[in-house]
Amino acid sequence: MIKKNFKNNKKYGNTSYIRLLNYAKPHTMKFIFAILIILFIVVIELYQPVLIGDVVDKFLVHYGIAESNIDTNLNNSNIIGVVKIALVYFASVVAIFLLSYAQAIILSRTGQKIIYNIRMELFNHLIKLPINFFTNNPIGKLVTRVTNDTEALNEMYTSVIVNILKSIFVLLGIVITMITYNFKLSLLTFTVIPFIVIFTFTFEKISKKIHRQIRNKISSINAFISEHVSGMRIVQVFAVEKEIFDKFDNENENLRKEHMKQLFTFSIYNPTNFVLNITAVSILIWFGSKMVLEGTITVGTIVIFQRYISKFFEPIQELAEQLNIVQSAMAASERIFGILDEEPEIKEDSNSIELKSFKGKIEFKNVWFSYKENEWILKDVSFKVNPGENVAFVGATGAGKTTIQNLICRYYDIQKGEILIDDINIKDISLTSLRKNIGQMLQDVFLFSGNVKSNIRLLNENITDEEIIESSKYVNADNFISKLSEVYDTHVIENGAAFSAGQRQLISFARTLVFKPDILILDEATANIDTETEVLIQDALKKLMKGRTTLIVAHRLSTVQNSDKIIVMHKGEIREEGNHQELLSQKGIYYKLYKLQYEQAL
Amino acid sequence: MNNKIKSKKTTGFMKSNYIRAFLKKYKFNYLLGVISLIVVDIAQTRVPIIVGSVIDQIESKNFHMTLISSVIIKLVSISIAIYIGRIAWRFFIFGTGRSIEKDIRNDMFLHLEKMSSRYFQDNTPGEIMAYMTNDLEAVRMVLGPGILFLIDVLAMGTITLYSMIVQIDPLLTLAGVVPLLLIAVSVRIMGRENRKRFRNKQEAFAELSKFVQEQLTGIKVIKSFVQEEKTIDAFERNVKRTYEKNMHLIKIQSLMHPFMQFISGLALAVAIGYGGYITIKQRITLGDFTAFIQYLSMLVWPMVATGMTINIFASGAASLERVESILNEPVEIKDSENLSNIDTLLGSIEVKNLNYKYPNTENQVLKNINFKIEKGQTLGIIGRTGSGKTTLVTLLLRLFDVDKNTVFINGEDLLNIPLKLLRENIGYVPQDNFLFSDTIKNNIDFGVRKGEMDKIIEAAKDSVVHENIIDFKDGYETVVGERGVVLSGGQKQRISIARALIKNPEILILDDSVSAVDTDTEEKILKHLNEKRKGKTNIIIAHRISTIQNSDKIIVLDDGKIVESGTHKELVHKKGLYHSIYEKQLLEKMLEEQK
Repeated sequence: MIKKNFKNNKKYGNTSYIRLLNYAKPHTMKFIFAILIILFIVVIELYQPVLIGDVVDKFLVHYGIAESNIDTNLNNSNIIGVVKIALVYFASVVAIFLLSYAQAIILSRTGQKIIYNIRMELFNHLIKLPINFFTNNPIGKLVTRVTNDTEALNEMYTSVIVNILKSIFVLLGIVITMITYNFKLSLLTFTVIPFIVIFTFTFEKISKKIHRQIRNKISSINAFISEHVSGMRIVQVFAVEKEIFDKFDNENENLRKEHMKQLFTFSIYNPTNFVLNITAVSILIWFGSKMVLEGTITVGTIVIFQRYISKFFEPIQELAEQLNIVQSAMAASERIFGILDEEPEIKEDSNSIELKSFKGKIEFKNVWFSYKENEWILKDVSFKVNPGENVAFVGATGAGKTTIQNLICRYYDIQKGEILIDDINIKDISLTSLRKNIGQMLQDVFLFSGNVKSNIRLLNENITDEEIIESSKYVNADNFISKLSEVYDTHVIENGAAFSAGQRQLISFARTLVFKPDILILDEATANIDTETEVLIQDALKKLMKGRTTLIVAHRLSTVQNSDKIIVMHKGEIREEGNHQELLSQKGIYYKLYKLQYEQAL
Repeated sequence: MNNKIKSKKTTGFMKSNYIRAFLKKYKFNYLLGVISLIVVDIAQTRVPIIVGSVIDQIESKNFHMTLISSVIIKLVSISIAIYIGRIAWRFFIFGTGRSIEKDIRNDMFLHLEKMSSRYFQDNTPGEIMAYMTNDLEAVRMVLGPGILFLIDVLAMGTITLYSMIVQIDPLLTLAGVVPLLLIAVSVRIMGRENRKRFRNKQEAFAELSKFVQEQLTGIKVIKSFVQEEKTIDAFERNVKRTYEKNMHLIKIQSLMHPFMQFISGLALAVAIGYGGYITIKQRITLGDFTAFIQYLSMLVWPMVATGMTINIFASGAASLERVESILNEPVEIKDSENLSNIDTLLGSIEVKNLNYKYPNTENQVLKNINFKIEKGQTLGIIGRTGSGKTTLVTLLLRLFDVDKNTVFINGEDLLNIPLKLLRENIGYVPQDNFLFSDTIKNNIDFGVRKGEMDKIIEAAKDSVVHENIIDFKDGYETVVGERGVVLSGGQKQRISIARALIKNPEILILDDSVSAVDTDTEEKILKHLNEKRKGKTNIIIAHRISTIQNSDKIIVLDDGKIVESGTHKELVHKKGLYHSIYEKQLLEKMLEEQK
């Protein structure tokens, strides 16, 4: 089922590109601005070798071999010329520094803002998906979508869009400048470019493949470590340390081999580039020197060309890298869009009713429900609860008690029948007002990290501290909270591991009460709770249930006995209904359950 | 823990004896690497000199094309030398780094195999994994790139500087190099700042992940209290913080490259001005001038590398502390000094006045336990969750150590039995049915590793899981776990039983191992056990009376004490705890049969 959910990510193909670019649209001006800056930088960078060439050609050319006597006047004007060029060069360096920094910041900020928006959109969508989406998809994977996958898009906006353009500009710039100097010599040196291109792209492809293999090997070694550390007890108990070590050694060696492959690939890459560079320089020197002899070019041209040659490599490498980034961004974006395209299963009617409060009448009319097709969890269930009544549901695990509670809050839609609250079908009530007016307490109390206070008011800042304390006192939670080191501000670690089951229960009572629900739905905890806390819980429950319609999945005898009505569920059906005495006298399932679970307690 | 590591940080990376042993072991590799590196460095500095001199020649127009061709041949042969040299040093230095990485990882794993269960309770797999990957990588960085950079900086820097000073001009060199020193300093400072900001960013990111994880886990609370909008607001605060920390990091990251470019540009500007000036003054030739400019760009890298080297060594030293913290962890459970000289172990067990507390805890888990079973008998243990049943059997396996003279197997003090012999003779089926993500075949054959298919199938048949296995598409080759077939709890339990049975051990321990198996299957398994394990000892922990009612002896544990013991019949007559459990389960059975 898990797999099915993620396979849904069809092939998005080109639509992904368009969707990704759409997020960039609001920032078009910034991208244009960044591109303009880059153009400017490219022009300056290309101009720099010209400056050096100028120094040689205009001022230094006569000092090639230290013999000629040049008069001091000329010397002085040459010195001034050289210093001027040095200053201009310095200015160009400063300009590039400022411009590239500004450019990087503008782009990064834009990229980060886009990520920010995608994350918000994603979480917004995610949190509105139905409960069963979260049972079907591992939470860990969903977290990755919101965090890592969005992060993977970052480079797409901060580097790809702009750098592809930049690399093309630079390449064109170099080619054009060289051609304007000397067409023939340019064409001759360009003969290495196709080799650079072919070599670079092949290398990128191979190195990406090896990189992927390394990632695989690393994750397999990590899995091995994690698994065997968790299962080290088994390894030791079965005395197979040696054999397992051999296996580990094997994994480890595989990783090393893969690393060596990568190492070898890289060790070819740089030297090959160097050889290509030297080849170009050799071509330049061979033909250049001939041309100097013929008088068609100056030495300065050779110096300039030599510098340009080393600049071929960067933009070509850059292009190959960017294409790689695009590919991985695409993969991440498809996973993200997969979630964004997930439809909320429970749809609200556009003219659903907003209700301020409920009187508290609940009715099930011939309800049929299944999570999976044809495996009915509830079979033709009908019952009625009057305002203010307390009803206890009893039965073995899997009888359908908890399902009934989930259906009232509309976490799932039923297949057949009707559920009515105050004689209104719950499908016609807005989800917000439905859930706001029903207080649901789960068997496992989930506590968020934060403090006690924040766990009671959740995120509702308009619930005052006084209200929190008042509710806590009412449900007997204040007793233990007031003994905590920082009282209501005591830190709660993830999932409240430091609190006992009973204390968690009391906190959840306070949480529910402070939201003032009209209907109460609760699943009594089965966990072992010490007698002292147990008494407090029983007392609190009694107070909570007073005057409120309450549906409770009961595990405690006292709770059951004090209910107005007991509904006995068995395998998805209501088998018995009535109060404690009536049911006992029937000598049916309830009678047996009673003997089984409660007799001991008496 | 961080504090502990920080205070010890004074010991440098190269001072560690552990690391020194490796350097010694691989000294020839490193030596060859260093030699080829220096050859490459020298060859590389020749290139600008050759190009510079040929330009001087061309400039004077006083040359033959034969001279040019000889220059080109020179260039090509140098580039070939560089080609080979570069491959060689990568192989010798980086490759050795990878070999040592592997050796260390093996050492760590080997040591982990000797650690007690206590160690694994205190150290999560996540932490251990981080040590064996991230920290090891930081150590590897020193042994590969770190050493390379160090040598490269020294060699390249010295050679280049030497050429510049001797062949061209000392003053010009000084003027050009001083600004470059700023690069080394800035890489060091920015590198440190960068790491700090990176950590902050990672923390914010982890915080965000944690938030999403927690909210999605608690989604039901959010929905039932209609907190969606508020949660989105809280999420936005998290996203905002991530955004800010990211930008904070980006600000320094984007600065690094342009800043280095700036400094090297500055050096170049100085070289043009001053170099041009002395060329005109004829202190150097035009060829010298162009060569100098090339040299200068060759110095940028050593400067960057200096900063990087310092950073690599600094974080390598911190990580090495953590790696060594695993390697130096004392082995708690090991063979005793007065080891019994035995090579077989029969299954009689006696426990005398056994009291037990887990290390570093106050709670007495077992209190004054006494019992005795003969070889070939079956012992049943029953009791509530937390009554000490599992603790009792893990002590027999020496997953934790008991006091002397409390537990005897085959008449020997447990502590004096060779650990390997002890564990080879016990078959253990743990409560959590931990299986490895491997084939079913290998999981059953785990403790034997002979790959004898008939034995494997026999064990699977005895634990009544054979039929299930052959129903899978790949049969015994089916991979279990996350990447393969997800087994039901009952299937896992039965494979886990087969894994213990195939050893045909003297003592078999089943820790609540048939809880997820239906009663019919349970009966079959118990019947097989009865047949196959004649003369061998069994210990069966159970929640269901039916599992243990035929045992030779049953003990009832409550709160760490033996409260009742005897045979099924005797215990039912006692009308104590055992009896009440029995009654309850009878009723439950009746209810099951209803309908």
